[in-house]
Amino acid sequence: MTTQNDGQDPTDAGPLDESDPTGRYRSSAAETVQQNVAENDTAPDEPDPVGEPTPEPPQSPTEQFPWMKDTREWGVRAPLTPHGLTIESIAVGVYGEIPDESREMTRMPRGSFATPGIPRLDNYSVNRKDELWSDNAATLYEEAIQRRWNAMQDIDWDALPDAPEGFELAWCQLCTELGQHATAEIDTIGLWLHRMNYAYIEPKMFLATQEFDSARHFEVMRHRALCNGGGLGLESPGMMNRRMVETRAGWPEVAVSLYIARATLTMLLYRFGAHFASNAVDRRIFGLCLQDKARHMAYGMGMLKLTIAVKGADFGTSLRRILGSIEKDMAGELKDRVLWEAMAIIAGGSIRGMQEGMVAVDRLRAEYVRQYVRRLQYVGIDKQETALHPDLAVVVQ
Amino acid sequence: MTILQDRATAEMEEAVQNGFDLSWLQQLKQQIPGAADELSNDPTLAENTPDLLDESPNQTQRTRGALPRHGIPQYSAYTFRDQKEVWGYNLTKLYQEAVSRQWSSATDIPWETMRPLPDDIEAAQCQLATFFAQVEFVAADVPGRFISQMSPDYHEVRMFLLTQVMDESRHMEVFRKRALSNGGGLMRMIDSVSDVTGGSTDNAREFTEMSSRLHIVGEGNVLTLFRLGELMAYNEAEKAIYRRAAQDEARHVAFGVLHARYMNECTPERREEIHAYLDEAEDRQATGNGGENPAARSANLTADSLAILLGGGADKADEGKKILAAIRQRQVKEYFQRLKSCGFDDRIENGRVNPALLEAYKAAA
Repeated sequence: MTTQNDGQDPTDAGPLDESDPTGRYRSSAAETVQQNVAENDTAPDEPDPVGEPTPEPPQSPTEQFPWMKDTREWGVRAPLTPHGLTIESIAVGVYGEIPDESREMTRMPRGSFATPGIPRLDNYSVNRKDELWSDNAATLYEEAIQRRWNAMQDIDWDALPDAPEGFELAWCQLCTELGQHATAEIDTIGLWLHRMNYAYIEPKMFLATQEFDSARHFEVMRHRALCNGGGLGLESPGMMNRRMVETRAGWPEVAVSLYIARATLTMLLYRFGAHFASNAVDRRIFGLCLQDKARHMAYGMGMLKLTIAVKGADFGTSLRRILGSIEKDMAGELKDRVLWEAMAIIAGGSIRGMQEGMVAVDRLRAEYVRQYVRRLQYVGIDKQETALHPDLAVVVQ
Repeated sequence: MTILQDRATAEMEEAVQNGFDLSWLQQLKQQIPGAADELSNDPTLAENTPDLLDESPNQTQRTRGALPRHGIPQYSAYTFRDQKEVWGYNLTKLYQEAVSRQWSSATDIPWETMRPLPDDIEAAQCQLATFFAQVEFVAADVPGRFISQMSPDYHEVRMFLLTQVMDESRHMEVFRKRALSNGGGLMRMIDSVSDVTGGSTDNAREFTEMSSRLHIVGEGNVLTLFRLGELMAYNEAEKAIYRRAAQDEARHVAFGVLHARYMNECTPERREEIHAYLDEAEDRQATGNGGENPAARSANLTADSLAILLGGGADKADEGKKILAAIRQRQVKEYFQRLKSCGFDDRIENGRVNPALLEAYKAAA
């Protein structure tokens, strides 16, 4: 698939550039420019040797172009690593210095030479390192790119076997739920990405990969629901989705919902799908999504841990106090029968096997709540199972 | 592929007797006939879906085609819920192409071909890279904002824009890597900022306004430059950067053109409004305001850098300026072709187009 529909007339584009494997680039563009220049480039008038003033000495490049001196650190040379030129490897000199806080409200690249008097472009609300930074963001960004996959080409869709109706529809319901998880993530991150200060490009870029991953998850889940004779199921009850979208206080508060409360469940659902898949296609779909989701979780946990470590115990307490409404929504979704009954059919292998399947589902629900507590504790939020919302405590017990 | 009918009814009755609800499964069973038709003719996400609505009532993030539930809070508050505000042609193909052509700046650029360059060339290359590192993520932040305001019933648009967020992120890092990899460094941030109080790509609140400025004009200008990257590149790494960035940028421009073409054909009542957006965007193309055209005459830092790179050194910048003049002409020519492609070329004939652009076009003819 190529795109020729960008307003360019392909017929006048000239010969293919052999160095361009895509076939998109043609050398005639450069040739045309050079020809134009050659045609317009008339010889300069001969100077009159009589009475000519003594020519001034030629200016040096920096005299002619004073901006050439406008650099904070000339001579920097990032090392090429066995893994290529990575984001981590260019964190050199002043360019690798991450400010604790940035009041720069333009898009000035971090480490570049500031121009005074530039109007602020935005009033970024996420301006502190301790509100979005994670030391693993750069590594995770490169990993996201190296491990990219394609839902249409990397999944052998034709190999999906026929399935009994109830069993297939249960898978469709699970995929519908997970597709909406992806949409909620896309919306949530989209509401915050442009609010993040440009001093912190590493997490901004990582979150761009998470958005892109979520697009692929949406695509693969929707396709899976539609391609094997079933169809999309019921929409999500949406309680946690709403919680993520409506959180306004700051990115750390959003991250508690997005990663600890929601992504913990999303990961478990992907793991469940991979474990109970009855064919290689579903196993691969859910395995690939799980790999991406683990990366998202690694950023979220790293970010929250750093945030609380820097901001202190009071901030951890403030995050603990917002958990009440989150847990209420978690409990509400854990009571919603649609998803859990669908998963019971999947785990039990059929509608008839639901009773047996529900044992596995109950185990998953309990594991969800336990992991939720453990993740809170890991990032520094003092939460105990004994202090859970009563309906969640029941699930663990 | 078809699903097998099973002894579902009896099994469901038995399950209900055991305390399960399964009313959801009953609902799903009732909607099966024809459900798979959506993808029957297209292995990718089909565009001509029967359930694509002109107006989207979806305020709960549900996937298009999923069964709605009653009583769910309408929390999404999507601003863009009308197909005629956001749609375009070939969306699925553009999305699939974007996914297929992802690349890695760490490993797909032959960084090992970088060699020390004369200081003036290195400074110019780094100044240009600084510019791109500064502006490229605009095209990630701005579409990202629109994605979260757009009904997921138009997921084809959302998904393409998500690929653009990814692409622009990569562009920001690849130019930063270039600046920091060969003995130079980041240079001066650009100062061609204008219209922070409105009327710019950043501030656009309407989708077509944003797209006409960002995709058709701003990225179109940059696309011309990237396509001519062979002229500005001094090693294989730089050539690869420009070539790959151009491939991505062409896709974004194509999206804008195909959205504008759709708007021209389906919302003729908005033609005058779209022309007004183009009026403002053309002014930026001619002046370089807002950083939307690094080749513009008044875009001092980037125009100087381009002249040095094109000429072959600071002492040959005058020659480079002549090449740059030809590049400006080519930018205009390509922009006019885009106008023609999306059906807004009447402005070229009726005198509405920016005079400076028209002059450049005539000079190039």
